[in-house]
Amino acid sequence: MQGAAGTTGAEAEMARAEVREPAPQAMPEAAPKAATRRRAKTIETRDVNLYYGDFHAVENATVTIEPNKVTALIGSSGCGKTTFLRALNRMHELTPGARVEGGITLDGQDIYAPGIDPVQVRRLVGMVFQAPNPFPTMSVYENVVAGLTLNAGRVKKSKKDEVVERSLRGAHLWNEVKDRLDRPGSGLSGGQQQRLCIARAIAVEPEVLLMDEPCSALDPVATLAIEDLIRELKNRFTIVIVTHNMQQAARASDVTAFFNLEETGQPGRLVEIGPTETIFTSPTEKATEDYVSGRFG
Amino acid sequence: MPEVVRIEYQEELERLEASGLGGLDLVSAALGRTLEAVEHQDVELAQLVIADDDRIDGRYLEVHQGLITLLATQSPVATDLRLISALLHVLKNVERMGDQCVNICKLIPLTGNEPPADEEMLRLILTMGRQARTLISQSKRSFEERSVDMARDLVRQDDVVDNLNRECFGLALEIGDDPDCREWAMTMLLAARAIERIGDNAVDIGEQVAFVVTGLFREFEDASHPNGQ
Repeated sequence: MQGAAGTTGAEAEMARAEVREPAPQAMPEAAPKAATRRRAKTIETRDVNLYYGDFHAVENATVTIEPNKVTALIGSSGCGKTTFLRALNRMHELTPGARVEGGITLDGQDIYAPGIDPVQVRRLVGMVFQAPNPFPTMSVYENVVAGLTLNAGRVKKSKKDEVVERSLRGAHLWNEVKDRLDRPGSGLSGGQQQRLCIARAIAVEPEVLLMDEPCSALDPVATLAIEDLIRELKNRFTIVIVTHNMQQAARASDVTAFFNLEETGQPGRLVEIGPTETIFTSPTEKATEDYVSGRFG
Repeated sequence: MPEVVRIEYQEELERLEASGLGGLDLVSAALGRTLEAVEHQDVELAQLVIADDDRIDGRYLEVHQGLITLLATQSPVATDLRLISALLHVLKNVERMGDQCVNICKLIPLTGNEPPADEEMLRLILTMGRQARTLISQSKRSFEERSVDMARDLVRQDDVVDNLNRECFGLALEIGDDPDCREWAMTMLLAARAIERIGDNAVDIGEQVAFVVTGLFREFEDASHPNGQ
């Protein structure tokens, strides 16, 4: 379970990434409407191979992840979809022995080029994890501005207030927590905690949001709320979501990529990528058909 | 190695397909009895066909409910989803073809108890009916075998029905001058029209076969734009 093992380190890394980086620019005076559309960035991967030591986890993945769309990565356990996701913001390399080959660009900029700061990459490409992971000792307010707090001397309280309100509104959480911003984030329900983590991720205005099974620990109502939120967030961000829930991929994504591995021990490969509607009605590859139909487990 | 799962779901889908397509056998049998009733002016047999249409309607309701349940509980996608969508269409075709047999049988008492008034007209109607039965069985086979070629051939087979229908019309105009034949001929024109519609429904089933196989829906022939106009 590299996801579970990697999460702790990744969480800490995200926290570091968030706190090291200042807000990218001065906040606007008025909180923008969440639905306001802005062009986010395109991710392109070319012949990407991912390894854990000698183990070849993902082989020759070449995809274009389009801006302002939700791209779902689906596939059975061990097919490399989470590994691939973590390579998109240079988190894969945090695992000892892990390495990346091939090219990954963000609007044409190679994120693995020499001299590129991985922390800066992770600010531009934010991550929301499987289990809601608000910082337990921090209040709701502090959680949202966690990425800014180290720079508190340079960020005025009024600006932080703006970021908190804008981010919580963007995460559809403001109305539920506005009267208890000073309470611990860990006191919220599971669905609220996950929206708090989304608020924390969007507070630093990233270009891309990566989500690793963001609803797997949530009840159906909270899941649908997050899916609604994802659809809205794509107006501002490029979104990549890993999910085991195929109906979630069908409901929430515009593009679906299917990863598969022929047998245990073999590397995972990208089998097919296309409009979600096509993948779920007339997929090209038989392996995709069998997987989305649930015909093989 | 991948393990095959969802076996019960697959078996249920196969059962519903067999049951839905089995409705075409019911329709074919109903059309056979309808032709016999027309040939022998058999009012009682016609009433039997009318009463028996409840079986076709019952099949429609049973399979329709089963498919809706699968949609609600199993979230079918890809080929399974296309198959279910196609079967819902085919069920409607089956139900309509059954109704056309009923329409013909309701006409039979209206022509009295006299034997058919014109041998040639009767021959045309019976030939049309037999050809329509061929279409019904071919549409079923093309669906079962997922054969787009066989499905497309239904258009050619249906042209035979359409030509016979036109012949019926011409003949009715001729024999309509005879007051003894006129009413019977007009009634037979309605029967010919009903058989012609049965042929069209079989072609529609063929179009659903192509949809299941290719994922694209295209009318084999566009009635509103014949010859690509």
